[in-house]
Amino acid sequence: MTRRERALRTARRGMIVTAIGLAGLAAAYLWGSIFAPIERTQGPAQKIFYVHVSAAWSTLLAFGLTGLLSLGYLILRDRKFDLLAAASAEVGVAFAMVMLTTGPLWGKPIWGTFWTWDARLTSTLFTFLLFVGYLVLRGALTDFDVRARFSAVLGVMALVLVPFIHVTVLWFRTLHPEPVVLNTEGAGLPWSMLSPLLAAVAACTTLYIGFVTQRYALAVLRDVREEEAAGGLS
Amino acid sequence: MTAPAIRTRDLSRRFGHRWVLKNVSMEVEPGEAVLLVGGNGAGKTTLLRVMAGLLKPNRGSIECSGSVGMVAHHTMMYDALTAAENLAFFGRLHGLPSDGRVDRLIELLGLAEFARERIATFSRGMLQRLAIARSLMHEPDVMLFDEPLTGLDDAAARIVLGVIAELESRRAALVIATHQLVELVGVAARVGFMVQGRLAAIEPIAGRDAGGVVTRYRELAADGG
Amino acid sequence: MAGSSVASVAFAVAAKDLRVEWRTKTAFISSMVFAVLVLAVLYFARDKTAVGDFSIAPGALWVTFTFAGMLGLNRAFLIERENRALDGLRLTPASPTGIFLGKIFGNLVFLGVVELVSLPLFILFYDVPIWRQLPVLLLVVALATVGYVAVGTLLSAMVVRTRFSEVMLPVLLLPFLVPPIVSAVQLTWRIMALRPLSELTGWLSLLASFDIIFFTLSLFLFEAILIE
Repeated sequence: MTRRERALRTARRGMIVTAIGLAGLAAAYLWGSIFAPIERTQGPAQKIFYVHVSAAWSTLLAFGLTGLLSLGYLILRDRKFDLLAAASAEVGVAFAMVMLTTGPLWGKPIWGTFWTWDARLTSTLFTFLLFVGYLVLRGALTDFDVRARFSAVLGVMALVLVPFIHVTVLWFRTLHPEPVVLNTEGAGLPWSMLSPLLAAVAACTTLYIGFVTQRYALAVLRDVREEEAAGGLS
Repeated sequence: MTAPAIRTRDLSRRFGHRWVLKNVSMEVEPGEAVLLVGGNGAGKTTLLRVMAGLLKPNRGSIECSGSVGMVAHHTMMYDALTAAENLAFFGRLHGLPSDGRVDRLIELLGLAEFARERIATFSRGMLQRLAIARSLMHEPDVMLFDEPLTGLDDAAARIVLGVIAELESRRAALVIATHQLVELVGVAARVGFMVQGRLAAIEPIAGRDAGGVVTRYRELAADGG
Repeated sequence: MAGSSVASVAFAVAAKDLRVEWRTKTAFISSMVFAVLVLAVLYFARDKTAVGDFSIAPGALWVTFTFAGMLGLNRAFLIERENRALDGLRLTPASPTGIFLGKIFGNLVFLGVVELVSLPLFILFYDVPIWRQLPVLLLVVALATVGYVAVGTLLSAMVVRTRFSEVMLPVLLLPFLVPPIVSAVQLTWRIMALRPLSELTGWLSLLASFDIIFFTLSLFLFEAILIE
């Protein structure tokens, strides 16, 4: 099987996984919005939390894997790690955007303002910008070996930075406590709400895998085309 | 028999998807000078950069024993510093004692009256000579030249040829990439022909003149490497 | 063949960088002018009735240091781009660690001078009496600057190879500044407000751990950037 054929097969499998993920997500959200009980203090607006928390999980997964794959590339220098890390970063940025839009949408009906510098949302914002920077750096480097090396360096730095950002923002917020909009602590969450949430998280994980697989396959196809254009080692 | 100063085995290097060096295998003995001849884009500069350790091979291997000096198109020095300051800086990076070798080399390369001037004002010939001085600071076992005579007037060229001869007598291994065969064909023992990233042949010059070497190159280039 | 220690390489590289900068002076002057401008603009931009000088002062100081510093960070590796001087460095036995430390030292001196000149101006413009607390404040400035410069130097090594290096550096660097600069601002206003030491320890430990971890990490990662 040629590299191109393998990539096309990977893309097809990715599409199937994505489709399963989307179906699962739709089911989980329907469950959460229609069948799960309405939260006492926050009302129906709280149900956006199913979208928000599952997206948060996928964001964390995506960025964490980008960091680890970057480390893997630096150690093994295998381009697959680089292409996967980049795919994961793009998917992570997409999920982060979902988080950053659903968070304020959740906040507005409950607290009256869209943005309250909530610790988790603020951390997400900085992390989002960090990985947007990662993608911008990749876009600015044309030689793919240099791009892979430099992105990997930035990816490892980013992995170590994220906990620091989280702690910094948290400490800052404990000094200036403002309404905690996103009470996502599992403690005290009844099973009737926890189960659709877990379903949504599982579906989002599946969706993450599907997206990354497809994005990775696309990157490989692009690489194959460039390789053909340049001629090989004859 | 002593080990070769430079040995490459199936050396290959790419930039992106483009293979610029393909399976280059050659050896250079201490005290030997080898010319590298080839068209633009044939890979001469890349080969020299791999030998210098500036690029790693993607496939194959290279062994270079001893210290390496290189004189290339870019001076690799700082315009805002004087000639003496540039040399002293590189001396420090090599851990060399300040034993007056900076002044001696500047003298040797005919730059004594410009020693305290910033090199931003230097001509091409002066820069080339200063680059050679910098490379000689650490008494290299291997010297790599990338088009050493380009843009030089006769006087400067003669100084460079003198340095090459001196290095040969000191048993340094030399690799000289060049288009200017007339001046250099007498200096080297062997010549390597690069065609589209491959070392098409490497053979003794055997008394051929510049014209003879060019003819041989055209033969090999026509064969497509 | 004689080699040279990491320390002597670092010192030689830093000294050379500073000498080159001294002869051209462009980055330094830009940084200084920028620092004065930012300090002044932030002062004028505040609403005098709503906010006391004290509460915006720490933020103003650190915004000034951060942005004026960024103007100078790229020069360390831009110097090596002309005439392919970086190749020259790599041809020597100087280790990547030594070269990187030298670049950091050079940037630290550069930024240190900008800060030392800006600080009295800051005290003057904002009329903040901090003479008693100066030693602790200088310690905080030093700690935050070290972390900032370590990460900034590593990122600039990458960014100078792109076309828009002046824009790319802030884009990549700013998220890395959240821990050290927020800590620095928190510490600065507490120092200015003469708060007890117990209030400082948390942020100091965050700042110190950021410095240690990122300085070390940057040192390790530089080689991956340098070796082709």
